[in-house]
Amino acid sequence: MKRRIVNYIKRTLATVIAGWVTIAGWGVSQAAEDLGLDKSVVLLKSVRQDFDYDAPWKQGKIIEGISSGFVVEGKRILTNAHNVSNNKYLEVRKENIAKRYPAEVAFVGHDCDLAIITVEDKSFFDDTVPLELGELPKVNTTVSTYGFPVGGRHISVTEGVISRIEMDRYSHSGSDAHLVIQTDAAINPGNSGGPVMQNGKVVGVAFQGLRQAENVGYLIPTTVIRHFLADIGDGKYDGFGSLGVSLYPGLHSESCREYLKMPQGEDGVVVIATMLNSSVESVLQRDDVITRIDDYDIDNDGRVQIYGLRVHFGEVIETKQIGGTVKLTFYRDGNEMQKTVTVALNRPVLDWSREYDREPRYVCFAGMVFVPLTRNFLETWGNDWYTEMPSYLRYLFDNSTELNTDRKLKEYVVVAEVLSDEVNSYCRGIENEVVKSINGVTIRCLDDVYEALKNPAGDFDLIETISDRQIRPIDAEKARARGQLILDKYDIPDEARLEKEL
Amino acid sequence: MRKLSTLILVILCTSVLSCSQPAREQVQRLDLTEQMKESLVYLDISYCCYEKHQPWKQGNLYKETGYGCAVGEYEVITPAWNVKDARLVEARIYGESEYIPAKIKVVDYESNLCLIELDREAMPQPLKPITFHEDYRKGAEVDFYWLSREGNLHNGRGYLDKAEVKESTGSFAYFLNYILANTSKVEGSGEVNFIGSKAIGIGCWGSSKSKEAGLIPATTINCFLADAKDGDYKGFGIVGFKISYLLDPTKRAYLKMPKELKDGASVSNVYNLGTGSDVLEEEDVILAIDGKTITSRGRFEDPELGPLWFYHLITGKSAGESVVFDLWRDGQRIEVEAEVKNFDVEQMLVPYYEYDHQPEYVVTGGFLFQELTRPYLTEWGKGWSGKVPSYLYNYYRNMAFKPTDERQDIVILSYVLSAKINLGYADLGRIVVSKFNGMPIRSIEDILTAQKLYPDSKYDVIEFELDNPKVVIPREQLPAADALISRNYGIRKLVNVNQ
Repeated sequence: MKRRIVNYIKRTLATVIAGWVTIAGWGVSQAAEDLGLDKSVVLLKSVRQDFDYDAPWKQGKIIEGISSGFVVEGKRILTNAHNVSNNKYLEVRKENIAKRYPAEVAFVGHDCDLAIITVEDKSFFDDTVPLELGELPKVNTTVSTYGFPVGGRHISVTEGVISRIEMDRYSHSGSDAHLVIQTDAAINPGNSGGPVMQNGKVVGVAFQGLRQAENVGYLIPTTVIRHFLADIGDGKYDGFGSLGVSLYPGLHSESCREYLKMPQGEDGVVVIATMLNSSVESVLQRDDVITRIDDYDIDNDGRVQIYGLRVHFGEVIETKQIGGTVKLTFYRDGNEMQKTVTVALNRPVLDWSREYDREPRYVCFAGMVFVPLTRNFLETWGNDWYTEMPSYLRYLFDNSTELNTDRKLKEYVVVAEVLSDEVNSYCRGIENEVVKSINGVTIRCLDDVYEALKNPAGDFDLIETISDRQIRPIDAEKARARGQLILDKYDIPDEARLEKEL
Repeated sequence: MRKLSTLILVILCTSVLSCSQPAREQVQRLDLTEQMKESLVYLDISYCCYEKHQPWKQGNLYKETGYGCAVGEYEVITPAWNVKDARLVEARIYGESEYIPAKIKVVDYESNLCLIELDREAMPQPLKPITFHEDYRKGAEVDFYWLSREGNLHNGRGYLDKAEVKESTGSFAYFLNYILANTSKVEGSGEVNFIGSKAIGIGCWGSSKSKEAGLIPATTINCFLADAKDGDYKGFGIVGFKISYLLDPTKRAYLKMPKELKDGASVSNVYNLGTGSDVLEEEDVILAIDGKTITSRGRFEDPELGPLWFYHLITGKSAGESVVFDLWRDGQRIEVEAEVKNFDVEQMLVPYYEYDHQPEYVVTGGFLFQELTRPYLTEWGKGWSGKVPSYLYNYYRNMAFKPTDERQDIVILSYVLSAKINLGYADLGRIVVSKFNGMPIRSIEDILTAQKLYPDSKYDVIEFELDNPKVVIPREQLPAADALISRNYGIRKLVNVNQ
């Protein structure tokens, strides 16, 4: 539990560095021109409009932003996902050319904070030079960051030293962790999406900084970029996968090693649990000790030697696409075993990652607004959402993976709001309650709410909630008679927005 | 002429109205300072409690001021909150500078009352007991008195504004309080309150913001004293369920309640402890308690005190009495009788408080096991409910009153005191123990029993709820490791369990 809190704190400290800056004017950076990067690094002007997860039919403020990107093979522009998420309009410009080029987001990976942009007018690429991807830079070597940060009009170049390379959380999604390069090069708002170069090759994409520290910037390494580019090779983005197993570095304890009958000299990590419906559920058991993944030996901290680095063995899984396989070597009751397992998405019922580019779903019935319980909804409690949200929702957020025993449960559904009307005058206490069933139908996703409300239980619609264990009857006839009036009164375009087309 | 007839009509109406109301004796304010010199005591209380996250350590010693008033020649009454975690209680009487040793005879944190006995040998003369009168006069001027630390008799005043059922200071229980408005002193530490010459209660809380003070009324005090008299204190009833408002006509229709039945509150949660827990069911509607109609907001009309929370109909009774619930259940009106019950706070799955005793704990191999209590959680400080591990908070919030035979305490691995024996486990903490050597852990005592299981085994193996690792402790190394941990961390006693 303590570890989780620490992780949460770390998440909140890292922040994406999208530059929402004022456009001033143009000039040519001599340094960038000398390197030819003025033909590769581009400026993105984007207009975003976030969603309102309290009132999901509404949209939020319109915000304009400036960020960076760079040309890669295939007449494409690579940038950060957070520069183009919830995007309404996008245009790109080159360093010394006045013309604006409307652009589109072709692929976006919110879990790895990367996106590919295309420009309809292919002449944009006539005088551009695609940048080549390099390998992981060595620690204590110098890199140069290019982009359009605040404070000037030209391409900016800053030098810095690679401080460390390790797995860390990507603050755009708020949850996903991949390899990260830390540098002391100044990375400022507007820099994000820009290339970080070493020896003429891209070694990373600038993407986030640390709020409470000066000159601590983070880059997305080319291992992650290559995974992303390979993933979209089939025309769609699937994301990074995992095994869906919970592990503990228990072999530091000699008695634990003995208890698990581990041979001396074998290191590894102990299986605590497998995720429901995960790809390893039928393969691994509690108290198995995983010692090797593919050809990489796992140490007692769960790390492997890869790319000349000592990093968490999850990095081996990061090299695989969804549906790819890894070979696991593990000990069970003193016997060595080997199994091949599939890498899958394995997301928990209450995903810790934020959603983007997806209109929030809802069902509005009798003025009650049912929504899926998501991180986006929980973040409507503001900056201190984690401590301010209702205790039961925090309980589910922290523990949904372990608490859920329903294989068919896809998401929790919560009543986000009650829009005042005579049909719901007595229903105010239902706000923020998690729905267990409606009209006797177990609610396993938002679509179930819509379906269950088609068949009232006699004169009533019966809404049963989990946390306060109440059944709230709604006058079925009145609810239907008032439905359209409520939608009109609150200017709600439709009674529902679901996964499926209505 | 018209003016004159109107005046006559007004005079007639006024006299008719005044005749129709029962005549109330005009209460004259009196200065009782002289009489109080023989009845009031100042209480000097030294207290300290144990640190909840290092339960072998006592915290700082503090001094608390309390006021008492005589209810016997050598007995005084004061709010229980004054004496929580008391290490020493001493009294001082008017005109004497020496402290008189005192001991707590009966303490009831739910009603917030404590009976203290003074050392007869140290008393120059007996006290003059005060009799409490169960008198309620809304709007009456109230004078209150206390003996200060300096030995001076002080008095203050306010107005008796209303009667309310409020959560007792430092407890989970709801009891009747009288509320003084516009009071000249808001401390509420046991000042004795009078209307005229009649004592009506003792001060138990104060709010400087609203300039209000709360009184424990005579009815509670007299009941407490009668109960405490025979040395076998049984206490007041405690409510064993939770209600919800039943305002919604649709819910009433769903419950098949006739339209003319406008009253009744819905039972939303039935505990495993307390009055009604053995007879009530969720979705019952309580129409009346002991013949007193319960409104849809859970209140009843007291002829003297006005509308009050239903709690008073149970917490105003002594344990062992009976109470009758008039219920709407499954579309029918029924009547069920229940015994008025209470319980010791220790019986709660997550105890609300742990005054006057050291928290129970076991340290073995550096692993600190403790019982989950509310004070343990409140150690997280301001805003603790949003900061504590949500899994632990859920036990407190939703399960505190629901112990079972299988689960009497929530035992947690609170912390790991780093040592060689627990290498690799140092990050664990704040997790709930499920099994110890295969034995389900129902209470902290079970750990001691479980440690003796499988004497031939080389290890103690501990399992936890949620996805947490097993802990394996080598038994052979335990004696030496425990001795070292005890020395290193200054833990004089590795086990504190009341068996």
